[in-house]
Amino acid sequence: MTDVKTYLREWAMPHVLCPGCAHGIVLRSFLESVDQLQLDRNKVAMVAGIGCSSRLVGYVDFCTLHGTHGRAPAFATGLKLARPELNVVVVTGDGDGLAIGGNHLIHAARRNIDMTVLMLNNSIYGMTGGQAAPTTPEGSVASTTPQGNTEPNFDACKLLIGAGASHVVRVLAANPLEMTKVMADAMTHPGFSFIEIISDCPEYFGRYNKVGGGAEMLSWMAVRDEGITIPLANKSFVKHVPSSAPPSGMKTGVLHREVRPVYAGVRGEQ
Amino acid sequence: MGRNEIRIAGAGGQGVVTAGRILAEAAILSGSHATHSQVYGPQSRGGASRSDIVIATEPIAFPLADNIDLLFVLSSDAFAKYEPELGPDGTLIVDTRCAPESLNGDTPQYAVVDTARAVSGGQLVTGVVALGVLQAHTQCVDAEALRQAVAARVPVQHTKMNLEALDAGMGLVGGESS
Amino acid sequence: MSTAQLIQGNEACVKGALAAGCSFYGGYPITPSSEIAEQMVRLLPKRGGVFIQMEDEIASLASVIGASLAGSKAMTATSGPGFSLMQEHIGYATMTEVPCVIVNVMRGGPSTGLPTSPSQGDVMQARWGTHGDHPAIVLAPASVGEVFDLTVKAFNLSERFRTPVILLYDEIIGHTRESVVLPDSVDITNRTHPDVAPEDFWPKEAPPAGVPPMPGFGDGYRFHVTGLTHDHRGFPTNDGDIAEALITRLHQKIETNLDEISEVETYMLDDAEIAIFAYGIVGRSAREAVIRAREAGIKAGLIRPLTIWPFPTAEVAAAAQQVDTMIVAEMNLGQLIGEVERAAAGATEIVSYLRVDGEPITPTVLLDLMMPGTGASS
Repeated sequence: MTDVKTYLREWAMPHVLCPGCAHGIVLRSFLESVDQLQLDRNKVAMVAGIGCSSRLVGYVDFCTLHGTHGRAPAFATGLKLARPELNVVVVTGDGDGLAIGGNHLIHAARRNIDMTVLMLNNSIYGMTGGQAAPTTPEGSVASTTPQGNTEPNFDACKLLIGAGASHVVRVLAANPLEMTKVMADAMTHPGFSFIEIISDCPEYFGRYNKVGGGAEMLSWMAVRDEGITIPLANKSFVKHVPSSAPPSGMKTGVLHREVRPVYAGVRGEQ
Repeated sequence: MGRNEIRIAGAGGQGVVTAGRILAEAAILSGSHATHSQVYGPQSRGGASRSDIVIATEPIAFPLADNIDLLFVLSSDAFAKYEPELGPDGTLIVDTRCAPESLNGDTPQYAVVDTARAVSGGQLVTGVVALGVLQAHTQCVDAEALRQAVAARVPVQHTKMNLEALDAGMGLVGGESS
Repeated sequence: MSTAQLIQGNEACVKGALAAGCSFYGGYPITPSSEIAEQMVRLLPKRGGVFIQMEDEIASLASVIGASLAGSKAMTATSGPGFSLMQEHIGYATMTEVPCVIVNVMRGGPSTGLPTSPSQGDVMQARWGTHGDHPAIVLAPASVGEVFDLTVKAFNLSERFRTPVILLYDEIIGHTRESVVLPDSVDITNRTHPDVAPEDFWPKEAPPAGVPPMPGFGDGYRFHVTGLTHDHRGFPTNDGDIAEALITRLHQKIETNLDEISEVETYMLDDAEIAIFAYGIVGRSAREAVIRAREAGIKAGLIRPLTIWPFPTAEVAAAAQQVDTMIVAEMNLGQLIGEVERAAAGATEIVSYLRVDGEPITPTVLLDLMMPGTGASS
């Protein structure tokens, strides 16, 4: 196996991620999946929006597009249609992908554009300072929900299955080997693959909700993930979560897979 | 004649827009410069409809109608809307069905709508009958060019009917105006 | 040369884009621009290009930028409300130096306004709609034939200068059919590709001025693109000196090449005592008014910018030096008149004729303004 460091732009370091943030683990798993598949790195295009997760693309030695907030699937659609031989990977976060960019995400899924979307869900807006996201569990504290979040949160995978994504997976950042496998699998799937990666934000979510640092948050994930449910996925360990909240977590693993026609725009016969 | 502004006004469904395009295309085939504009509204069907055609021997500076030389009216609504805008030097031609009783007796009237119905059983070729009248009445474009333009614009399965409509329109002119 | 044909401005735009080598169209339906998309989907695939109808105008321009980064010549078309949504990515394309063409067929505003009526209300938005200090190239055709020519020019300038170029015309020009004779072929400019091997691509230092070469994604050059202020490697930085150098270069690559960008038509201006400043469809009215004024013995002339941004300050200043009166006619409440006044610097009397009722400014009203005894000519 190649040293994953060879896939990095080491000159671009130090990176912007906080200590304890699992996004770096996610990136490593991704690079290992690229290596496993022996993809030509000239043909890998990573497209991101705005946020902590989206900054990952700056550090990898591929063709990388750091776009605007939420619009990565739309940039990626143009890129893929214009250059079908590219392996197009979108890196987005829960705020980027589900709030400001929700429309672009569901339409890319509906069209079944051949791309892989990695949505790193840390349940909060990290880069802007810990504001509530569409994924912040009810009751959780964020800088804009000081008394606890009163809005219901999204189940991203259900949303994407409903929108027509042909391959939908949820995986934990606490399981790096599983992540590598899942990502390699998604990149070989013909069509739109969506991977929700349950990551962490110790700096804001962990601190505001007093659930410890990165190590503690990842331990929780590892302990609770039994391959079926993960209480941590909806942060039900958080003491602010009202007792009436559903007791079960969100499922991990491959949640949906089908093969259906891939959309490549209106184009002439080649 | 440097510049000739023609407005064909009627109701949606009479083929007024298509007729305007055909007239402009016939003018081009006749070696003139031409423009065609229409009114866009939110509705796809019904309501008043109009085509403005500018025909000129020189390149056309202003492409829209500014001072209509000839107004051809094919519906009562269009008469009410556009006749008042016609200047004192403008020529008016009206369909017999939409001419109000108060209309000046010198105004040429032709049975365009009835002729279209006789040819096609409906109103779709009304605009083309009007083109026939217009050509015969004003010689604003070459008759053969107009025939070519009609044939080039209408669906091929309707070519024969439209050419009949055109000829019927031309036939209305020449003392037979009712 | 081809024969004369009767086509709409929006059709001429499509023909111009195809002649210029457009190979990607991403758009969203909006009146009065939709004919462009409707023609593109029929013609572009036959030329080996790709068409997609996106979920909104934000996504439309994002897809265009993505396609351009992959090496395509790419465009979108819209009208006011969609143009508002596109501002985000006009800024992004400017900052990341990604060539693309944006057509705005203007309708009455603000907001959804008058969807089927003409307007020139987006002139300042085309210049300043996206946030931050940025250059802008905006072309304003006045006829169906000019839509063709300036669409070609828009692609060429965007490739030459790696910047978005906006084609701005109104509903009348978009929808009116005119007889045009289109050329069989046109001169085409393509973006400059790097002349070094991929391993030597990363520039050692920022270019002092000018336009850096641009590879495409998938060409073997692996590089980073970001809308954040970035250094010569394309990587984000907060260094103030680098930020200033970048913004300055983005402006200078346009401002030092005005001879390639700026285009101004004058008509009967040489001995004119009264001039009309107009652009787009109003330029057509003005030309007709000048013709009629000359027939009436009035020494009238026309100055009509085809490039409205960058504003042709030198040309307007020269005209202002010469004439006694300059009539500025716009289908808005006065957008370019401020630029005219700035350029004229008091050298001539400036009179405005402005209209926002969704109706065109006609030659007759402009002629009346120039007739003896009116405010403009007294």
